[in-house]
Amino acid sequence: MSEKKKKIKVKFTRGDFLTIFGAAAGSVVVAQAVTTGPLSPFNSMLQGQIEGDYEHLHHHGGNVHWGMVIDLDRCIGCEYCVRACSATNDVATDKTWNIVVPEETSTEASFYFSRPCLHCQDAPCVEVCPVGATYVRDDGIVMMNYDRCIGCRYCEVACPYDARKFNWDERTDTNPYIPTWGIAEVDRRPRGVVEKCTFCSHRIDAGLDTGLVPGVDPEATPACVNICPVGARTFGNLADPESEVSKLIEANATIRLREELGTEPSVYYIPPKEGL
Amino acid sequence: MATISTIRKSISITPGFLAWLAFIGLCLLIGIITAIAVFTEGLVITNMSDTVPWGLWITIDLSAIALGAGAFTLSALVYLFNIKNFRPIVRLAVLVGFIGYTSALLTLVMDIGRPDRFWHPWVFWNVHSVLWEITWCITIYLTILVFEFAPVVGESRLFARWPWVRTVAHLMHKVAPALALIGLFISLLHQSSLGATYGIVKSRPIWFKPSMPIMFILSAVAVGPALTMAIGIIIEWVTGKKKIPDKTIRSIARFSGFTLLAYAYIKFWDLAAATYYGNTPGINSAFELLNQYTPYQFSFWVLEVILGIVIPAIIFIFPRFNKRPALLVLGALLAVVGILFNRWNTTVTGLYVPLSYSPGTLYQSPIGAYSPNFVEWGIAIGIIGYALLMITLGVRFLPLFDQKTTH
Repeated sequence: MSEKKKKIKVKFTRGDFLTIFGAAAGSVVVAQAVTTGPLSPFNSMLQGQIEGDYEHLHHHGGNVHWGMVIDLDRCIGCEYCVRACSATNDVATDKTWNIVVPEETSTEASFYFSRPCLHCQDAPCVEVCPVGATYVRDDGIVMMNYDRCIGCRYCEVACPYDARKFNWDERTDTNPYIPTWGIAEVDRRPRGVVEKCTFCSHRIDAGLDTGLVPGVDPEATPACVNICPVGARTFGNLADPESEVSKLIEANATIRLREELGTEPSVYYIPPKEGL
Repeated sequence: MATISTIRKSISITPGFLAWLAFIGLCLLIGIITAIAVFTEGLVITNMSDTVPWGLWITIDLSAIALGAGAFTLSALVYLFNIKNFRPIVRLAVLVGFIGYTSALLTLVMDIGRPDRFWHPWVFWNVHSVLWEITWCITIYLTILVFEFAPVVGESRLFARWPWVRTVAHLMHKVAPALALIGLFISLLHQSSLGATYGIVKSRPIWFKPSMPIMFILSAVAVGPALTMAIGIIIEWVTGKKKIPDKTIRSIARFSGFTLLAYAYIKFWDLAAATYYGNTPGINSAFELLNQYTPYQFSFWVLEVILGIVIPAIIFIFPRFNKRPALLVLGALLAVVGILFNRWNTTVTGLYVPLSYSPGTLYQSPIGAYSPNFVEWGIAIGIIGYALLMITLGVRFLPLFDQKTTH
């Protein structure tokens, strides 16, 4: 055996072990402090973003959880919500945030099923995002930070409701729904990021600042809710028992999509009277 | 010393070597041209879609990282468990690991929509995200690999002029056990988290299971060392010099063979749980759909199980087969094919199954369809070119086989 001629055989003592793990733990703490902690140069950036988002909450106070009730019995499948949403948020018409599809109950009665983002309170997309580019606001809205998204598309893979779409290309199309169905109130999203429904958060935030009530005043209410000719969609504060949405949920049997997944969606459905 | 003179002698430009370099150059050229196209035109020129947002490139990422697992496995066996038998191949394993991880990162940069923001996971933390954890682990592990490999580069004759480089390199060599320990820890974490990337997605029934991380790490531990062994044997064939003792090669073969069996064991019970002793509606209808519209049965049973596990395991374990290097190389290549198809089936085939969320019908949207186009293959060819170039450079210029420790 030729092993005796060198001292490669390093003894690994308890001291070494403690040193290594101490160093590892130390580096984690330092890294945390430098990147997101008090020492972070990005701290002001992060702080700015958070304050920007939640400012309106601090101003208006109160317990807020924005939600929607969709009455499947009322929906006539006109797709006005799809168009108004596409115009207001300047969404590409081949990958809309809202969808409307014809469906059948088990008794073969037909109905129309529509779906915005469900704004889950325990959202899989938020859990999986490696950079925290998507997050649940204090008022329950699941938001995207388009400046932070790296375009890995894990959220798109993880969303149980197919509510996210990726910008494969830089958009150059003219939106056919503008100005007939509304005007673009937000910027187009750049190439390479994932986008989604915001419950028209720009309207909610601006409306609250001018004393309007989202769900009651149209200027502060999502475009899809305003446009619906049959009043199938109702928007409001789920945390307020006096709101229209809370009353609807109180008065009707409602379901949420794939409730068994535990995602806690903020959108409730009133099923057709024939049942599902 | 002896090491230096053998390397110097081996450098000669033969026509065969020139042809080889030309082949690598062509691969790289194709890769670079495609990469420029992807950066300027965006991901729209690939065949990926909102239904199947992950495709060939993710398959390459997952496979390359799994195939690089020989580095942490063999380092741990040598430096932590002190199994000297594997020592002659550990440097090659670290090089293969380094190539695997850098290939994965290169592909990943192509795959994300905003390559200019590749650094975001390091700055913007979401500790809940397995992908965030994987990014960090891969970064840390790549650093470890660089440190582990530094002594080899330091010993090369490129640095013969500066003795201090060699001194520093030698110092690094002394911390090898510590590096192997951290490497083991980090690798166990991210190799399994790659499986968890799928295993935690509760909206997709055929992914959502606790066996995912275990199957990913076991397959990586089995096939990583086997690939390193095969590359070692091929290097011996090409250079015409015996560098790795037969005993080492057979130990690796047996190790890989038994780990493949462990992987097959978990896979068997996983399959049983999913299809035999539980009629889980989501899983059953998903498999029905796959069998109806895709050659899933074939790619699972033939490519993943028979070619990828059973045949390599037989070759690796039985003495009458594992004494023959050509068979070992064949076995390792089959196992690599098995890994590739496993990652492909997991990712792409899994995404074919539409999401089930509408209150009326089971699958409201049609089944997904995807096959990589020439852009995606172009990047794949470029990555292969990169890997071959790195191996060639390593064999040419670095003392990959520690002469002092072989007999």
